[in-house]
Amino acid sequence: MNGLVLRTLIGRLGGLLLTLFLSSVVIFSALLLTPGDPIAALAGGAKPTPELITQIRAEYHLDDPIWSRYLQWLGGVFTGDFGRSFVYKTDVIDLVAPRFGVTFQLVLLTVAIILVFGVGSGILAATRGPAVDRAVAVATSLGMALPTFVVAILLIWIFAKSLGWFPVFGEGSGGWDRVWHLILPAVSLSVMFIAYISRVTRSSLVAQLHSEHVETAKVRGIPRGRIFRVHVFRNASPQILAISGTTVAGLFAASAIAEQAFGLGGIGSLLTEAAARKDLPVVQLVSLLLVAIFVVLNAVADLLSALIDPDTITAGRQA
Amino acid sequence: MKRSGLVVGLALGTAALFAVTACAPREGGASENRASVDEAQLVASLPAAENPVDEVVWSVVEGEPATLDPGSSATVIIPNLCENLMQLQPDFSIEPGVAQNAEWVDPVTLKLTLRDDVTFWDGTPLTADDVVYSLQRGQNPASQWYAAFVLVSDIAKTGDLEVTIRFNAPDSTFLDSLAGGGGAVMSKAYGEQAGPSLGTSEGGLMCTGPYQLEAGGWKPGSEIVTTANESYWGGAPLVQKLKYVFVTDGSTLTTALTEGEIDGAFNVPPGSRGAFEGDGAGSLIVGPSTASFSFGPATAEGPAASPAIRQALSLAIDREKYIDTVLNGLGEVQKTIVPPFTFNQTEASAIYQAGYDELAAPEVDLERAKQLIADSGEDVSAPLVVAIPAGAKEFQQTAAIIQSAGKSIGLDIEINEMQPADFGAMFYDPGARDGIDFVATQGYIETPTVGGYPSLFMLPEDRGGVFNWSQYSNDEVTALMEASRTAADPQTAAEEFVAAQRIFAPDQLQVTLAGSYQLTYLSDELTGATTSIAIYSSPWALHLGGK
Repeated sequence: MNGLVLRTLIGRLGGLLLTLFLSSVVIFSALLLTPGDPIAALAGGAKPTPELITQIRAEYHLDDPIWSRYLQWLGGVFTGDFGRSFVYKTDVIDLVAPRFGVTFQLVLLTVAIILVFGVGSGILAATRGPAVDRAVAVATSLGMALPTFVVAILLIWIFAKSLGWFPVFGEGSGGWDRVWHLILPAVSLSVMFIAYISRVTRSSLVAQLHSEHVETAKVRGIPRGRIFRVHVFRNASPQILAISGTTVAGLFAASAIAEQAFGLGGIGSLLTEAAARKDLPVVQLVSLLLVAIFVVLNAVADLLSALIDPDTITAGRQA
Repeated sequence: MKRSGLVVGLALGTAALFAVTACAPREGGASENRASVDEAQLVASLPAAENPVDEVVWSVVEGEPATLDPGSSATVIIPNLCENLMQLQPDFSIEPGVAQNAEWVDPVTLKLTLRDDVTFWDGTPLTADDVVYSLQRGQNPASQWYAAFVLVSDIAKTGDLEVTIRFNAPDSTFLDSLAGGGGAVMSKAYGEQAGPSLGTSEGGLMCTGPYQLEAGGWKPGSEIVTTANESYWGGAPLVQKLKYVFVTDGSTLTTALTEGEIDGAFNVPPGSRGAFEGDGAGSLIVGPSTASFSFGPATAEGPAASPAIRQALSLAIDREKYIDTVLNGLGEVQKTIVPPFTFNQTEASAIYQAGYDELAAPEVDLERAKQLIADSGEDVSAPLVVAIPAGAKEFQQTAAIIQSAGKSIGLDIEINEMQPADFGAMFYDPGARDGIDFVATQGYIETPTVGGYPSLFMLPEDRGGVFNWSQYSNDEVTALMEASRTAADPQTAAEEFVAAQRIFAPDQLQVTLAGSYQLTYLSDELTGATTSIAIYSSPWALHLGGK
């Protein structure tokens, strides 16, 4: 069984590297092929005279063929050099690293909120009778229909402006101040996902509740609580985990909207800003980072499922 | 004297993506509040502060600059750091600054005498060598101030604290230019050691202004922290730490300001007027400005290049309604691209004012507009494309107004919202203007150099008309403008300019839509800030502090 997990791990790792490589090729070429010219960004506000343009094009190898530029970039990545920002003229990694911290904390808080309220309300809906089920269904329908920026506006209006409980802008100075600043953004980001996870949890649980082995367990007189923990929730959790994995990975990209609305300096707002200014090295690194997070989190979710219920691996292989 | 949509366009870009999504409820209160502001009520600066303040958080609406080098950036952060040889006052008059005396020895020789008590942030005293170095940077064609230096033949040190500048011909605008970024004083030693990284987050700066940028003060992508220069020759500022943040989203900014989480900001969105004038941590200050919204031709071919077509469009746009819609009442009708605030304080202001007064005020006359189009003989069957920077509300509204004006006189106008990088590219790459007929911009004039801004649009390209994309050429205008620039006295300069304006203004090289007031939101606990368009050139936070 352990060998199987290990083999899955190695296979996953290989897949991860392959995915990263392919996406780096796609991201790199897509960015280079997009119309427009990064010269304005590179000139840094100076009037781009023909001489200056020629000089910049040579300095940044803008006229080299795409494959050669890709190889230069890839070589840099292996030596820990992710390039320099066209706009800020500073190492991209120095720009991205502190912002990644903010986004990471925001996503962590959001995940906590989503798991507590999403899984929690899903369990309630599945187990506490039709009235609760209906109420949760209505609430989740509403939640799914509310885009992040609408929730953000509402939250700012209620909790920041009218009640004055939370700040409206910035990421704070770290520690509790940081958490305090991230609560509203995290809530606004989580609403749609809570609704989604709640639905998934409910349906997986309901499917398990009506399955044969649960009926058998009931007939055998096993206590309800134990049936729920061992037979229902455990069997339903791989699916919940798999969906949560993708959701969390998606949060890193979706955070851009919350970051913008609350003036947080995270990677989402960095990406949108860099894209608008054609700061290609920044866009490349952030995009690749998002892909990497997505792939890694999915792999982790799969592995967790495997640990909870090793059958999923064998089942997957047979299928 | 220059600057156009390039800077504005690039800056607005950062706000683009989500600015549109998040505005509804918080800006809703604005519509009932469109009372126009009387010109006499405009405030150029607030009373100087008396009490020290530990920290002030300021938001730069245009977003984070790529560099703080005065030669290539126009951000309001710079004037507090690097001061200019002459000091522009909030009312747009000019006083001596680092140069305590500027004397024309003869019509082509200017002698600057420097103060003897000026030191750089690191304590080294300012010398004539530093000033020569700083001014010579303007002679580089890549400098944004190059146009100010075209008549300069030589810049030399003629004493420990004396610099002499020689010209090929008299230059009536040069001294005024020294009150702008072209006159910014920087350390020669520091600049030569920093090389091309000067002004970036890594290279830093070494100047003499009231606030200093220390190593590590600029955290790229996040904030720029500056601190009081305790040994500033004009007296240390009362604010210990002036921190710049970059909130570009209009509604986030509005809330953060009214909630008091950000202490102040310039160029706040006029659309949030209602929120700013309501209960909040601060107040909206409306100041005089030289900024205006306009659109102009981007091509030398087709109807856009024809003055008649632009005159027709101008006759179809109701300026009062424009000011109501786009500026929420916070602007004024402006007859041409140089508004009176530019020259109000100059020696020859009466001549400039008379020239401005004689120009026709914009009016709506659809019949005459249609007649102009018919008489022009232009083929207007194909749609005309107007380019605007994407995501900026003021420009979306501007474009919509131009479009409906066109419709009312039989012109089909299409709107092309461009990503900031592409919009910026139009200003130096002719290829990027392919298929574009008009470009809408917001521009401003940062020093009282009256002829500089219009020159960009109407002189031949090789004489400095870098934005003269319709290849407008009128020998009389060119001759008058050059006579104005090389006039030996301000009165002659003004008369020549007014004579040129009489010809070029009706040709509407830029169809001026409205003058926009300088909008500042400042915490009620603070005072002393400059609140006119002079913020781009003078140390606006020098007198900032507690009430």
